[in-house]
Amino acid sequence: MRIGSAKQSYGADAALFDSRTQKAWALLGVAALAAFPFIASEYWLYLACLVSINIASAMGLNILTGYTGLVSLGQAAFMGLGGYTAAILQLRYGTPLLLNLFCGGVVATVAGVLVGLPSLRVKGLYLAIATIAAGVMAHFLFAHLPALTGGPAGLSVPPARIFGVELDTSAKLYWVIVPITALLLLGAANLFRTRIGRAFIAIRDRDISAEVLGIPLLRYKLLSFAISSFYAGVAGGLFAYFFRAITPESFPLLMSIFFLAAVIVGGMGTVLGSVLGAVFMTLVPELLKLIVSALPLGGNATLVLSPVRTIVFGALIIVFLIFEPLGLAEMWRRTRRAFHLWPFRT
Amino acid sequence: MTTKINKRDLIALGLAGAAAAAFPASALAQAAKAGAKPQEDIVFGASVPLSGVFAFAGIGIDAGIKDYLTILNEGGGVKGRKVKYIAEDTAYKVDQSMAVFKRITSQNKVNLYYADSTGFVKAVNPEVDRMGSILMTGASFAREISNADKYPLQFMVGPDYSEMVGILLQYIAKTKPGAKVALVYSDTEFGRDPVEAARNGMKSLGLVLATEIVTAPGSVDVSAEIVKLRRADPDFTIFHGYVSAPIPEFITQAKSLGLKSQFMGTFWTMDNSTVMKMGPAADGFLGVMPYRYYYDTEGKSPMLEKIRKMRPEYQSTGYMQGFLAAMLLTEAARRALEAGNELNGKNLKIALSSIRNFDTGGIIGVPLSIKGNSIPIGRIYKADFKQQKMVPASDWIDLTRR
Repeated sequence: MRIGSAKQSYGADAALFDSRTQKAWALLGVAALAAFPFIASEYWLYLACLVSINIASAMGLNILTGYTGLVSLGQAAFMGLGGYTAAILQLRYGTPLLLNLFCGGVVATVAGVLVGLPSLRVKGLYLAIATIAAGVMAHFLFAHLPALTGGPAGLSVPPARIFGVELDTSAKLYWVIVPITALLLLGAANLFRTRIGRAFIAIRDRDISAEVLGIPLLRYKLLSFAISSFYAGVAGGLFAYFFRAITPESFPLLMSIFFLAAVIVGGMGTVLGSVLGAVFMTLVPELLKLIVSALPLGGNATLVLSPVRTIVFGALIIVFLIFEPLGLAEMWRRTRRAFHLWPFRT
Repeated sequence: MTTKINKRDLIALGLAGAAAAAFPASALAQAAKAGAKPQEDIVFGASVPLSGVFAFAGIGIDAGIKDYLTILNEGGGVKGRKVKYIAEDTAYKVDQSMAVFKRITSQNKVNLYYADSTGFVKAVNPEVDRMGSILMTGASFAREISNADKYPLQFMVGPDYSEMVGILLQYIAKTKPGAKVALVYSDTEFGRDPVEAARNGMKSLGLVLATEIVTAPGSVDVSAEIVKLRRADPDFTIFHGYVSAPIPEFITQAKSLGLKSQFMGTFWTMDNSTVMKMGPAADGFLGVMPYRYYYDTEGKSPMLEKIRKMRPEYQSTGYMQGFLAAMLLTEAARRALEAGNELNGKNLKIALSSIRNFDTGGIIGVPLSIKGNSIPIGRIYKADFKQQKMVPASDWIDLTRR
C-alpha cells in the first residue's frame, strides 16, 4: 500500500493510475516510446518491435495462465493461426493491415475456444498436454494445406501499406506494432477491473468456489481461452508482417515454452509481469551477447563463450525463480515500495 | 558543508544511469560514425550458429570463413582492400539471426554476408533487396533460394537439395539402370524440399520409386518404417532432411533384416565424423558432396594443402562450405572492383555470375561456372569404415552438362 494515496471511492480504488506521479510516469513512458525511433538505430528498433510482439503474446498467455490458472502450451499454434490468416489475406486479397490483424485474432479466437473445450474436464498438466496436441494439429495443417499455406515452404508476406507508406523496415513497423501492443496491454489492464476479469481470478484461485459464487465455469474458461488466443492471433499477425516469411517451423512448441517461461519469470497474473517477462526473455540473450562482444578477449573467445552465454541465461532464469518466485513484477513492486517508503524499510 | 542526496536526486540519478545503460551500442555506433574515417575495408558479416542444434556445422563454417579471409588478407586483400569479418552467434534461431544482421548492418557498411538458415534467408530476403548493398550466401540449400528472380541478391555454395538428389539419381541411373529407389525424409521443410523433384527425376531417368517414408526429424524408433522399407525392397534408399538420427538406426535394422539396399545421404549428413559415428553398419554408405574432403590428396589442390598446413587436424564439410563461401563472395567483390563498379548487391551479383571455369584451388574438383543461384556440381563419396574416411565413388557430376 502506498503512503498518502487514500481511496475515497470504488472508482478511485479500481483506477489504473492511482496518483499524479503514476500518471506523469505513464506520460513520460509514452513520450519515451514516441521519441525512441528518432534516436535508436535499426537494430534497437528491430529489438523493440520483437519485444513488443512477444509482450502481446505473453500478455495473452498471462490472461489464460496467470489470471485464470489454465496452463497452455498452445500459444505458438494460436500465433501461427493468426500469422497465416494475416499473411493469406495480405497475399490474396491485399486487405488492410488492421483488418488482417483483426481477422488473424478472430481465427485464433475460434481455435482457442475449440482447444479450450477440454478445460472444463482437465486442468494443470493434462490441459497443457491437450494444448500441445492442438499445436501439433495446427502444425500439420500449416504443412499439409499447400494451396492455402504454401506447405512446408510457407509464405512470403508482402509489406503492408498504411496511407501509402510501405511498412518495410523496423522503423516503420514500430509505429504499428508498439501502439497495438500498448492497446492490448491497456485492454488487459482494464479487463481485470471488470466482472469478467474478477471471474477469471476467482476461477484461478478455486474453480469450485467460483462456481458456487455463480460464475459459469465453461463460459468463463472459454472466454479466457478466446481472449488469450485473440492476443496470440494478433501477435502472430504482427510476427508475419515483421518477419515477412512464415513457415510451419516458425511456430514451434519451443516458442510456446518461451512464452510460458516469460509469464513465469515476469510474474503470473500481472500485466507488468507480461511486459517484464517478455523483455527479459528477449533482451537478456542479446545483452549477454553485447557483453561478450564488448569484452576485450579477441581470438576465438566468441566461439568459446557462445555456449557459456546460453548457460548463463538459463542460470539467470533459475536464480530469479529461486529468489523471486513471484517474478520480476514483484521485484519491481518491491523496488518501488522501497522508494515510496524511503528512508523507512519495507 | 554536507551535501544530502534526497529521494528525487536518487530517482534522477537512477534514470540517468538506466538511460546510459540502455543504449550504449547505438550511442557508441553514432559516436563512431561521427568521428571515424571513411570505411576502407570490405565488411563481411555473418549470422553463424556457434551454439544450438546447428553448432556442429556453424563452428566449422565460421572457421572456414576466417581461414580463407586470413589467406586473402595476407595476400593483399581484394584489390588492396582488406576484408573485415564480423560474425555473431545466432543459436540457429531466426529472430536472433535477424538481430545479428540488423546489428552488424546498422553499425557497418556491409557488402558480403553469410546467413545460417533457410528460415533466416527467407525472412531477410526482402531486407536484402531493399538495402541493395549486400550479396548473400549461406548454409541453406533450399530449392526455393535457387530461384534467382525471387532471391536476386543471394546464391548458394553448391547444388540445391533437389540438385543433390538429382546427382544421386544420375549416379544410380548410371550404376544400375531401372533401379528401385526409396525416399526417406523428415517431415520438415528441409526434408520435403527435394521430394517432388526426386519423383520427377526418377521418371525421367527411368528409375522406379519403390516407396516414400516420412519420419519425424531425429526420430529414434523406426521399426514400423523398416517393415515398410523391407516390403518395398529398394536397390537404393536416399535419406534427406536429417543430419544423423534416424539414419544409423535404419541402416542397422535394415542390415540385420538382410536388406541389400544401398543407403545414401545428402550434404549435411556427409561429414566424415557424422558418417563414421553411425558405426560399422555405415560401411559403404554413399552420399553427395559438393566439395573435397579435408584429407583428399588426389589431383592438384593447393587450397586444401594450405588448409592442412593451417589446421593439422580434420576439418568438417561445414568448414569447406564456409571456406568456399568466403572465396566466392570475395571473388565477386574482386571482379566488381576490377570492372570499376561500386560494391553493391546488383554489381556483386553480376560479378558473381560472370565466374566461368573458376579454379577453387581443389575445394571442388572441377572448374566451376556460375549461371544461376546454385552450383549444381557434386560427387558421390563412399564410407570406408576401415580407413575411417569417405572415398570417391564417382567422378564429379555437373548437372548443367547433362
